Amino acid sequence: MRYWEDHEPGQQTDLGSHTITEAEILAFARKYDPQPFHTDPEAARRSLYGGLIASGWHTCAILMRLGVEANQREQAAATGSPGLDSCRWLKPVRPGDTLHGRTEVLETWPSRSKPIGFVRRRMEMVNQRGEVVLALVGITMYHRRPVAASA
Amino acid sequence: MKYFEDVKVGDVMRFGRYEVTKDEIIEYARQFDPQPFHLDEEAARQSLFGGLIASGWHTGAMFIRMVAEHMTPQVATSGARGFDDLRWLKPVRPGDVLSVESVVREKEEPRRPDRGTVKIESRVLNQHGDVVMSLVSLVIFQRRPADGS
Repeated sequence: MRYWEDHEPGQQTDLGSHTITEAEILAFARKYDPQPFHTDPEAARRSLYGGLIASGWHTCAILMRLGVEANQREQAAATGSPGLDSCRWLKPVRPGDTLHGRTEVLETWPSRSKPIGFVRRRMEMVNQRGEVVLALVGITMYHRRPVAASA
Repeated sequence: MKYFEDVKVGDVMRFGRYEVTKDEIIEYARQFDPQPFHLDEEAARQSLFGGLIASGWHTGAMFIRMVAEHMTPQVATSGARGFDDLRWLKPVRPGDVLSVESVVREKEEPRRPDRGTVKIESRVLNQHGDVVMSLVSLVIFQRRPADGS
């Protein structure tokens, strides 16, 4: 089990990658972010973006998926998140892009009232050309290592 | 159509009505956030949260749906650069009904002739008036074309 105590600043994690398809972009956008440059390839061509791009909230969701999978591989005792300090959609994400996730621990601190601790991380998604398309700084909560288990 | 020039600091917008269902919480979680407290009612009951709750990113997705449906059609926007200070303040549960309250906080001095960034603070409320999520979006507004059209 990976507890709060097992995190320290500078630790980096490779989250693996996901290749996004046009069908995924359209399905997410039609349900949650129906703007023409996310839902209509023809209208998207005439937009500022020159072609279909993924909703930024979709890119965040894919990063979340990669992060959850990494946590599960490491059996991390993660227990949700109070939020994010910042999130920037730096470059458009287009059909066929392969997005690679990576994270680095910035800071850790314990809860004063609960048997949990907080980890602040920078998380990034990088496309197949090495461009950072999404950068965020978020906070995750982890259970503390049980006292009996630390012996 | 509201352009960058038409937006004023302090402008308030209230919009949206989104009914949260158990099926949608589970469907989103299966796809993007497969943690037990988003997926499995029984496991969720035993968790810190005491019952099934929506993924925070799902609440974000429901928020952007309300924005895309009610706010975006009235403004000349080209999307957003991102957001700051997102907080998931209360769990979102099946049966909750969400809406949005937005306030224009700041207009950045435009660095380009054709667009500018507006900082909009939004609060997502449930049917009890509790704020479940808040954030400050960096929305890209187009500037009013010079010919006044």
